[in-house]
Amino acid sequence: MTTLFIDDKEITVEPGTSILEACRRHGIEVPYFCYHPELSVAANCRMCLVEVEGWNKPAASCCTPVSEGMKVRTRTEALKKDREMIMEYLLIHHPLDCPVCDQGGDCKLQDYAVEYGPSKGRYSEPKRAVINYDLGPFVNTCMTRCIHCTRCVRFANEIAGTGDIGVLNRGDHMTIAGIVEEALESELSGNLPDICPVGALLDKPSHDLARPWELSHHSSTCIQCPNGCDIQIESRGEQVMRIRPVEGSPEPFICDRGRYVYDSFRSPARILEPQIRQGDGFGSATWEEAFARTVELLKDKRVGILFSPYWSLEGLMSIRLMRDAVFPDAKVAFDLHRRDMRPFAFEEGFSMTTEQIESADQVVVLGCDLRQRLPLLMLRLRKRSRQGRPVTRIGAMNYRTNMSLSNDALIRPRDWHAVIARAMEQVQQLGKTAAGMDEWMASVDGRHEAGKLLADALMADTCALIVGEEIRSHEDAASLIYGLDLLMRACGHAEEGRDGRNLVPEAMNAQMLSAVFGDVRASAGELFALAQAGELDALVLVGSDPVGDGLFPSAAKAALERVPLVQVGAIEGEISRYAEVKLPAAAYVEIEGTFLNMEGRVRTANKPVKSLGEERPLWKVMMRLAMEMGSEPPVVSLEELREALYAAMPEVRDACNSVECDACLIRVGRNRDARALPRKTAEAFPLDVVSRYSMYREGMWARASELLSEAGRIHALDDVLVHPDTLAELGLKPGPLVVESFLGRHTFDIGVRDDVSPGVIYIAKRGVAGDLSDVTSARLVGCGGDS
Amino acid sequence: MSMIKRAFKTWLLWELLVGLALTGRYLFKKKITVEYPEERTPLSPRFRGLHALRRYESGEERCIACKLCEVVCPALAIVIESEEREDGTRRTTRYDIDMTKCIYCGFCQEACPVDAIVETQEFEYATETREELYYTKDMLLANGDRYEAQIAANLAADAKYC
Repeated sequence: MTTLFIDDKEITVEPGTSILEACRRHGIEVPYFCYHPELSVAANCRMCLVEVEGWNKPAASCCTPVSEGMKVRTRTEALKKDREMIMEYLLIHHPLDCPVCDQGGDCKLQDYAVEYGPSKGRYSEPKRAVINYDLGPFVNTCMTRCIHCTRCVRFANEIAGTGDIGVLNRGDHMTIAGIVEEALESELSGNLPDICPVGALLDKPSHDLARPWELSHHSSTCIQCPNGCDIQIESRGEQVMRIRPVEGSPEPFICDRGRYVYDSFRSPARILEPQIRQGDGFGSATWEEAFARTVELLKDKRVGILFSPYWSLEGLMSIRLMRDAVFPDAKVAFDLHRRDMRPFAFEEGFSMTTEQIESADQVVVLGCDLRQRLPLLMLRLRKRSRQGRPVTRIGAMNYRTNMSLSNDALIRPRDWHAVIARAMEQVQQLGKTAAGMDEWMASVDGRHEAGKLLADALMADTCALIVGEEIRSHEDAASLIYGLDLLMRACGHAEEGRDGRNLVPEAMNAQMLSAVFGDVRASAGELFALAQAGELDALVLVGSDPVGDGLFPSAAKAALERVPLVQVGAIEGEISRYAEVKLPAAAYVEIEGTFLNMEGRVRTANKPVKSLGEERPLWKVMMRLAMEMGSEPPVVSLEELREALYAAMPEVRDACNSVECDACLIRVGRNRDARALPRKTAEAFPLDVVSRYSMYREGMWARASELLSEAGRIHALDDVLVHPDTLAELGLKPGPLVVESFLGRHTFDIGVRDDVSPGVIYIAKRGVAGDLSDVTSARLVGCGGDS
Repeated sequence: MSMIKRAFKTWLLWELLVGLALTGRYLFKKKITVEYPEERTPLSPRFRGLHALRRYESGEERCIACKLCEVVCPALAIVIESEEREDGTRRTTRYDIDMTKCIYCGFCQEACPVDAIVETQEFEYATETREELYYTKDMLLANGDRYEAQIAANLAADAKYC
């Protein structure tokens, strides 16, 4: 440790820390513009000058490391003069239009101008003006205000990895500009306004709508992906104006999906009052009428319950209590992306924290578009790769990552067994094995060379295995995950404290769902099949959209043609057109509650935004439903509900919700006896179908948000994609082609892209071919006839 | 002696005569009564009366929706909503002043960076209902158009003291 004196105060910090960092940690104020804790040091604003005893000129504190016994002064007369001159220099070309600038009131330049700047400018020559450029739907530019700190350039290069912002010219002509005039190609573009210390880059959707001092702040947890970031919701009156990351949290960024989903909170798709079907439309009703209709539909019926994993732990617990009280035989389903319901050797959830993944020796990503699925984890991987640490990826699509991968292999989903078997072979050659491995390998015929990459990575001291949707939604997922579990155990990555097995969950709360619903859980597809076969009389849907999302849209539609649907939720999805009754439940920003993120960290939401209509917290709706159905409500207050939750999951009671404490993480479920061996089934059709997750289009909230929908249109790929070789082999040309699957024959416009694995039809789940999500294999046929 | 003096003053109603003398003096003095509304007293250029929103000579409204008046108003009488106009400038979509709340402190005109909201010398706007005292943006802009000459003259008169 290094000891130094800052303003005569003795301070001890780690060696290598910059003076500015030391000051920040000990609450000594040093002004700065270009420094940002997450970005590299540029030292171009010169605002952070300090005096070091014995040095003949002031030092830029952001790029000067501390040394033993250093005596630093941050407030001297000479520095005051220096800072005044620097402020004058920065303000020479600044338009001083604070009254019309959204940053006004929340602006570093403004604050420092008051604190350190001269009271009058001396410059009376004409000021320069800079042309604005288009940075996409989320970022507004006013480049005349720019002070050239280059934070945005460094953000685009280092954090977003896109590098689509740069510096042009020098000196007085220096400007920041988009390299090409197009939307910022990043899922993190919404962070640019937060990064900009002045008003040059501003939030476009809320531009000119509110001033910082008008906004009230609500802290909550984002539920748009399993990462569960802490968010701060800023509202003006009852209207949410923007969502921002919580200041001072370890990850100061959030993704565009979590940030811009807010315009769906007031969208017409919100369910704000109880509604009953009347003919083709819906009529508003009182709670009594709506419950009367619900009871009529559900009383003494065989019922299937489908719910979304996005509710708070309290909400999910109330679903379980309601089920046990009213429908003790009902099967429940919450996962729309799981076809194989046999227990997995390791259940959904991360056993490593993001920090551990960032610092692991090796990271292997199997079949997952992390950039869309978990943008914040992707950001950590990008940081890794900047530090020269390897990332290996195997999957059906060369998903754009905006980083360089050390190893990359394209495979078809039907080859996963062969990949794992090849990895096992290699691992065994190197003398590592686990009981059951031989048996597993013996039941797989082929070997795929991509397995070598997997085995190589597993040889490292610490290895993070991130298993994604392509494996989780595989028809033989349990055996694949058992195979991976064997590999990890053989290589010593499954021991306590070094567990590297991470299965990307469907959504939040994965640990709680497998602990609380493990015994009654079914696949959504199974429920729809039962409904279609006439073995269910009604479906209860608690906030999910199997028609719009997931892998069972066709099955869901077919089932809902047969059985009535009672929908409880905060927002409508495409499924709502089948509902008989809609009961409003409060949205995630409107409740106080507890959530679990993929790491198993307990996150709390408090200070909710005011409800817009008649919606009530989910647990109240569930208990009222239990009452109306003639049962005693299992709990009558939030305290009782929490007690029930703690009884089911005692570790939640004791967990602290600090983002730094790793001791309180809720463990991911493990099934020691889940020993599924590969099935020998032949796919019915020659091509594999893989559906693509899009952060802008997946989920009811995102679809109801116009901002995200627009971004989705900008970032969309073709709806159906194949590798050019796939078409060449079949002698077909891109364009309208017939896709034949067990759903029948459909004609789609087929595009080509060489980053799709050969032999794979890659479809956008939310496009014209969305219904193909149901199938795992298909055949391409020319429009004229059979090929 | 003093008793005689007191009896003399008492019986001759001396105090009454002193009072009548004062009355008589004022009876013949020049009158200062202003016969409002036919006659008016002069007003200071800084008089704080009815609010107005001003325009530039081009007809463009001055207000840029910075909301400084709204935040400085101690009576919370001002409500503003803003948006980006088609030409990219920041403008109000709503600018309401509740004259029943306003305490005429003049902070709004002091806070205004573009001299858009000003208080005119107009004070005769009593109404029959409270509703008529809720001024909207159109009413305030109309006030500005009506009193522009007066406002400009007042600002000019006060300019040398700013």
